[in-house]
Amino acid sequence: MKANTVKTVTLIEAVNMAVSHEMGVDKEVVVFGEDVGINGGVFRATDGLQEKYGKERVIDTPLAEAMIAGIAIGMAAQGMKPVAEIQFMGFIFPAADHIISHCARMRNRTRGRLTLPMVIRAPFGGGIHAPENHSESTEAIFAHIPGLKVVIPSNPSRAYGLMLAAIRDPDPVIFLEPKRIYRIEKHEIEDNGEEYPLGVCFVDREGTDITLVSWGAMLHETKQAAEKLAKEGISAEVIDVATVSPLDIDTILESVEKTGRLCIVQEAPKAGALGSEIAAEVAEKCLMSLLAPIGRVSGYDIVIPYYRLEKQYMPKIDYIIEEAKRIVEYK
Amino acid sequence: MRTFELPDLGEGLPDAEVVRWLVKEGDLVALDQPMVEMETAKAVVEVPSPYKGVITRLCGQEGEVILVGAVLVEFDGESNSSSKTIEPEVKKTTETVVTSQATKPDSIANSDAQVFILPDLGEGLPDAEIVRWLVSEGDDLTLDQPMVEMETAKAVVEVPSPFTAKVAKLHGQAGDVIDVGAILVSFGSGTSVELPKIEQPKIEQAEVEPAKDKPADAATVVGAVQVGNQIVTESASAVIKALAKKLKVDLKLVIGTGSDGAISQADIKQAKKDGKLIGSKLPVSVSVPVNTLLNNNQQNNENPLDFKASPAVRAHAHRLNVALSVCAATGKKGTITKSDVDLAFKQPSSFTAPLLTVAPVLSKTGGLPTVQVSVEPQTIRGVRRAMAMGMAKSHASVVPTTLMEDADITTWPKQDSLARYVRALVFASKIEPALNCWFDGDKFERLVHPNVHVGIAIDSPDGLYVPVVHDADKKDATQVRARVQELRQKIESKGLKQEDQQGATITLSNFGSIAGRYGSPVVSPPQVAILGTGRFRYELKLTEKGIENRKMLPLSLTFDHRACTGGEAARFLASVIEDLQKTV
Repeated sequence: MKANTVKTVTLIEAVNMAVSHEMGVDKEVVVFGEDVGINGGVFRATDGLQEKYGKERVIDTPLAEAMIAGIAIGMAAQGMKPVAEIQFMGFIFPAADHIISHCARMRNRTRGRLTLPMVIRAPFGGGIHAPENHSESTEAIFAHIPGLKVVIPSNPSRAYGLMLAAIRDPDPVIFLEPKRIYRIEKHEIEDNGEEYPLGVCFVDREGTDITLVSWGAMLHETKQAAEKLAKEGISAEVIDVATVSPLDIDTILESVEKTGRLCIVQEAPKAGALGSEIAAEVAEKCLMSLLAPIGRVSGYDIVIPYYRLEKQYMPKIDYIIEEAKRIVEYK
Repeated sequence: MRTFELPDLGEGLPDAEVVRWLVKEGDLVALDQPMVEMETAKAVVEVPSPYKGVITRLCGQEGEVILVGAVLVEFDGESNSSSKTIEPEVKKTTETVVTSQATKPDSIANSDAQVFILPDLGEGLPDAEIVRWLVSEGDDLTLDQPMVEMETAKAVVEVPSPFTAKVAKLHGQAGDVIDVGAILVSFGSGTSVELPKIEQPKIEQAEVEPAKDKPADAATVVGAVQVGNQIVTESASAVIKALAKKLKVDLKLVIGTGSDGAISQADIKQAKKDGKLIGSKLPVSVSVPVNTLLNNNQQNNENPLDFKASPAVRAHAHRLNVALSVCAATGKKGTITKSDVDLAFKQPSSFTAPLLTVAPVLSKTGGLPTVQVSVEPQTIRGVRRAMAMGMAKSHASVVPTTLMEDADITTWPKQDSLARYVRALVFASKIEPALNCWFDGDKFERLVHPNVHVGIAIDSPDGLYVPVVHDADKKDATQVRARVQELRQKIESKGLKQEDQQGATITLSNFGSIAGRYGSPVVSPPQVAILGTGRFRYELKLTEKGIENRKMLPLSLTFDHRACTGGEAARFLASVIEDLQKTV
């Protein structure tokens, strides 16, 4: 067997690599969405796929998200494995009826006769100076829907491994790509088709004083905050939630039982977000181990601002450090 | 000969159609002079000249479709090394090469001057408006430092500097619309950049990336995705542990087959097949733990996480300065409750030396001996439990030494004897402060108190209470009496507060009010002394006047010999007697 090539790739290239790998080994995998074919995707997620696998399997669609989701459901119900792209998560709402009312419920509705092995990809989150409606972090909306898995990679390796798992999963996966970190760093990845487990958190750094929980792009800041905290003698454990639904709360609980303190870092607005759910779970199941109230570093409860104020909106490393210290020093 | 090849006009499309030539062969064109109108699927774009020079050939008729990368115009003059245009090298005609946000902009440079040409800012639009300059002429810029905010039809984009260099000239003011391809900033010492020598566009590549890889392509859409070339390593152990968790595999039972015993995903899956699950009873073979696994059981006694308590209870304990380690855990699943803390607090010890927990004390007894009795053993609670814990703690650490002597109290007027005892303790503490002291035998620290807070041992049906007469050195007999009376009433009405029991610096035990001549009272750490007053008696004493009937009060002073010398204790006791023997 010939050795797999190791490539140095960004997160977006890792997405491409994973989809390409799976298209190569599974004829049922098809890709479609706006500009995914000739253009290769507005962020180049599907670059070169049409050339490699043909127009039959890499399909440019009209600008009609409801149709994209509907086609995906129809294909998946008949055994195909569609990987559909919603160009920006802000455009997913025309497709929400299909996703929530049909895609998420099909297995239940048919009493298990039909499952939908489909992936809906969408870049999400802020930090790239995009205009209105391009920068929201609305993962909690889909995390709230039973029947959907919601997966958010935080680095290139996880994008590759989790995307493979998402395509292979028998049920629908909303695969949200934090576009701010699409190209921020590179990993050397062997294109060996090895998937990462869905439904479990990754403990990226072990620590004893405080647990920092994050996902997606904010993990980038969270890890840096942990490094700086270490220099000040505070040992932070960093957890990448990765699969935000279903939530692997056990890993978080175990960590909080060890550290006694929890700080959740999210880009989304604070109210009703995924961080609220994590905080509630920890309060319910882990209260007796808490040495301090749970802290949250969040975006604000406002529409994410335009370019000029975007930097002010985004949670920063210093905020995380400040909040972590407040929690650690709590008496 | 210099050539101009059709660049991607910003939409990732493979070709464009010549709409109208704006120049003729033989024309002398200036830098940035529009040469041709090209139509893509989306827009008609004016293409400016990258050179100043004479056009020798126009390669294409109006209406003709030109592939991206094909030669569009030929100029006179020397061919430079790479003949590259304002766009990066294009290898495949279908490949889109656009720097969406100019993070890695194309650049044109010569030896002493460099220019920055406005790239397509990512939307295929022909121009952009200067919103605000962030730098001034003469500024020294670093690579990637934001230079200017440009507004396209869709967004305001911060354009970073492609060089580390000095700004020679800013070509335009706020509000000016700059065409894509026009010079925006000149760098370097040269003030005039008329005919820059064209060089290979500067594309930063990761060192490990082969040079043959295509140039950075940050896509055509809005916005500015930050680009980094740092190569980061994935945390393999995080992935392995996550998979093990998902498959419920016990990592301690997994044998790594990789180099250095590294565990792979395949190893985990094999272990799952082999039934090496968490909680399984398979023998531990060669254990290759993932390097960072922590053993939490090896934490010392002072780790607050060894004790389960709600934040409110922890805060309560913190306020009372009660270590959770001395609290019983009577709540659900071994949780320490607020009342557990309150009970622990009733021991007048708040000096936090590592303390014994209840569990080891009880477990050493192995439970009560099994005998046939008609009643069930009672769980000791409340004050009685606090006493048990406090005494055990004392016994485990204090080195007790007891001195006994009598005081002659024949001349006492009728008075509250307890108030006199307190007064004597205050008096003696001033003479010999070493016994009015807290001592930490682990840190070898002692705290000599300037004030005297006397703990009074009071017996009750519930158990032993030791409430405190605070600042006894500042109280007269009436006030002491009033305070003791108050404490007794509180005990009776079960209204004793924590603060009533906190902070004693020395203790008085008046066991003689019931029975007992001498005793060996137990010091309650961190205090170092306790005075026991026995039952007074009349004694025939031989004095200079002959045989007299005297009223004698037996005293027993126990002190912690770790903290005090015998001499200090004897002087203290002598001072107590001196004060007690005063007529008033």
